Amino acid sequence: MIQLILFSLIGALLVFALFFAMRRGPRTEGSSTALVGARQALNSLQAGLLPPELVERIFAPEDYEFVASQAPKDVRDLFCAERKKVAIMWVDQVRQQIRSLMRFHLGSARFHAGLSLQTEIGLAVDFTGLLIACRALQVLLYLRGAYSAPRMVGATAATATRVCRISEESLAFLNAASIGGLGDRSAGAARLL
Amino acid sequence: MASSIIWWAGILLTCSILVRGVSAKLLARYPFFYAYNLSVLVAWVPPLFLYVANSPAYNTWYWIAQLLTLIVGYGILLEIFKHVLSPYPGAERFARLAGIVVFGAIFCFALVYPLVKSHGGASATMVEFERDLRTVQAIFILGLLVVIAYYGIEIGKNMKGMIAGYGLYIVTSLVTLAVRSYAGASLVWIIQPLSYDVSLVIWMIALWSYHPNPILESSVRLEAEYEALVAKTRGAMGGMRSQLGRVARP
Repeated sequence: MIQLILFSLIGALLVFALFFAMRRGPRTEGSSTALVGARQALNSLQAGLLPPELVERIFAPEDYEFVASQAPKDVRDLFCAERKKVAIMWVDQVRQQIRSLMRFHLGSARFHAGLSLQTEIGLAVDFTGLLIACRALQVLLYLRGAYSAPRMVGATAATATRVCRISEESLAFLNAASIGGLGDRSAGAARLL
Repeated sequence: MASSIIWWAGILLTCSILVRGVSAKLLARYPFFYAYNLSVLVAWVPPLFLYVANSPAYNTWYWIAQLLTLIVGYGILLEIFKHVLSPYPGAERFARLAGIVVFGAIFCFALVYPLVKSHGGASATMVEFERDLRTVQAIFILGLLVVIAYYGIEIGKNMKGMIAGYGLYIVTSLVTLAVRSYAGASLVWIIQPLSYDVSLVIWMIALWSYHPNPILESSVRLEAEYEALVAKTRGAMGGMRSQLGRVARP
């Protein structure tokens, strides 16, 4: 009976893997479109979405103190709920950055003939750990709110800066000439259009 | 009657795949796959006539044909491995090393297993033997799918069909043989040839014409070495981890 269960389990795993392999949509890691897109996304993050000042503003305790001192309880509760949502969304962005870094690493590593099995397994474990940590942080923010940790504001801003710098480092792997060429080609395509 | 229909349908479909392979000039592109289909055709025609003639030699021929096609079937796995992973040396190395580890583990298991298993009849032994070989194929194809998904490797229509068709047949065979090994001969025997016909239909559709795997633009290959890539990735993750830790601290 144990054997039957074991073989059925292997069969079920294979069905599951086949199903996802057939359904998987196209992924373009390593293609010029994806890399140029990653560069553009990073620029927009650094310039508009995640500058330290903005993140500091989102998590500023002064805002809460002001609302708490001036507004009734209903407004205060609404403010806290909204800020919590913003904080959770911010962690979600960090998570997406980690995922982006992971995809970029895998998209690059698959071409390297000198790839180490041990290192790749270690990295897979590390990436998984980080993604789980992000999820745990989201749960923490959900349970305790955006203002539960006083040190969160500074650390949040630092993380935002750090994430952008990491992404920049990741994209710096690209050959500058290739990027230039891609830029030229994109400009050429735009001109044609 | 039902078994004869399934059998003849299988032979007809195999012939159609081979004819289509010739007309679409796919034989040279996927030689192992078409060699497998040809071997199925050659190996299964004698048992079919023995079955129709109700000959006692059918059982012997059945197992010879089954084992022969099972072994040649590993060629399909080689074909998939070659076409899907050869443009990605890193992923290919990962899959090869993982495959060697799995093969080593299975080889050790195969050495120990006969010493501990209970002895049944010849037919029961053959069912178990085929089941074990199908398990090896299932583990290999599972590992290959994990590598394909993990490294985000693109696969074309031909390879998708080859994987889906053979994967489906392996799963059905594995479960059917496991049930037969556990409960003895039963009604489930018809499922294996039936699923093979379904696989043939999938192959027929997927390999109607040549669809190569998508090729990435070679101009965007990275110049950095793998070690540098790993070091940068590790550094980036370390930074993220410490920042996340600081955020989490009250």
